[in-house]
Amino acid sequence: MGVRNKQKAATREKVLSAARDLFNEIGYDETTIRAIADRAGVSVGSVFTTFSSKADVLSQVMADRVSPLQDELTRVLPYLRGSTSDRLCSIFAIHYDFECRRVKLFLAHIAASFNPSLEETTTPFGRNAGFQAMLRDALTDGITRGDVSPGADIDLIIQLLIAAYAWNYSLAAQVGADAGTLTARMDKQIAVIMAGVRPQVGVVGAV
Amino acid sequence: MNHIPMRVIASPAVRPAKPTRRALAKQRTREKVLAAARQLFTERGYEGATIRDIAKAAGMSTGAVFASFADKSELFDEILAQDYALLGEAMQDAADNGETVEKALTDLFSVAYRFHMNQLPLLQAGISASWTRTEAGEKRNREALKPVMTMVSDTLRRGVERGELSQRADLRLIGGVLWDVYLAGYRRAVFDGWTVDDMTSRLSDQINLILAGART
Repeated sequence: MGVRNKQKAATREKVLSAARDLFNEIGYDETTIRAIADRAGVSVGSVFTTFSSKADVLSQVMADRVSPLQDELTRVLPYLRGSTSDRLCSIFAIHYDFECRRVKLFLAHIAASFNPSLEETTTPFGRNAGFQAMLRDALTDGITRGDVSPGADIDLIIQLLIAAYAWNYSLAAQVGADAGTLTARMDKQIAVIMAGVRPQVGVVGAV
Repeated sequence: MNHIPMRVIASPAVRPAKPTRRALAKQRTREKVLAAARQLFTERGYEGATIRDIAKAAGMSTGAVFASFADKSELFDEILAQDYALLGEAMQDAADNGETVEKALTDLFSVAYRFHMNQLPLLQAGISASWTRTEAGEKRNREALKPVMTMVSDTLRRGVERGELSQRADLRLIGGVLWDVYLAGYRRAVFDGWTVDDMTSRLSDQINLILAGART
């Protein structure tokens, strides 16, 4: 890594760390790029050489935050007990529990990802590759174990699961639902979705 | 879209047999504000359009805007409500004409896709705002969406009556998942450049899968 790249990486870390603290202390809306730059001890200009917008900073903060959890989950996934549905329930329950600890920030993250002025470089909510890979593993494994139809369209199931997972957060936004409520709802939704890909009705899941 | 405002905006209060000049002026102001706001929200998103910008685009003072709307979120929700009202009828027609429950659902959502894709940034702004709305705003929004939700559950119920879906199926739960999946389709439009046809065809597969477990 050249000196220039090293500097760039260092700036990036400083900005992310300052942003994480500020988002947490005063909230996403109240935090300005200037405040982030001040806290990080860099210029406003150098924040913008690394990030395209505040939403971009937020999406990176959120991705960094969840990735250790997902690494750990991926590691323990083969040892999770129960049916494929049970294992999916566990994966989502752990995510709800984690994200609900900073629910305001997480909702800001989702809101920002729908903003029409979102920059192309931003990884929006719902596009987390690690998360999708984890679900894929669980479902593929389900085919091997025999509780998911071999003809099931795995991509389709993943999309359905993620859509339900993501929109359940609207309950947190609208009525302040907690992780337990979101998890209970997701469990039922998983049951509905997985009922359609049971081996005996498997033809339907095939495309 | 020029034909919408007259019908949808006019509230009974400003529609007496013979409106006074004052009432007419008020209604015109309201319409001007709504048109300017629609344009700006579409271009800049919810956060990006300020009341000041909207007033300027409508050629009036911010005070005049506030005489018609309590705040920006009320103005924004009024635009969304207009769209939902207009869209509702077309969706209902589609739902009534579908021969099977899947077809009816796919068609009714497809009508909505087609409508919103013509003004995708506005829809995005709406969804974006929905995550951080105030309680009052959220309540307003839910009221506006209620007819669509009812339409989805009525369509499912008809599926049960016709014997396509099991009596034991949890229709509320299924309706909720359908709604989530429908909304998720817009992300493909935003991030992957999907067309209405792409979205509709994918949604149809998704609806089939969701209903597969609820069949008789």
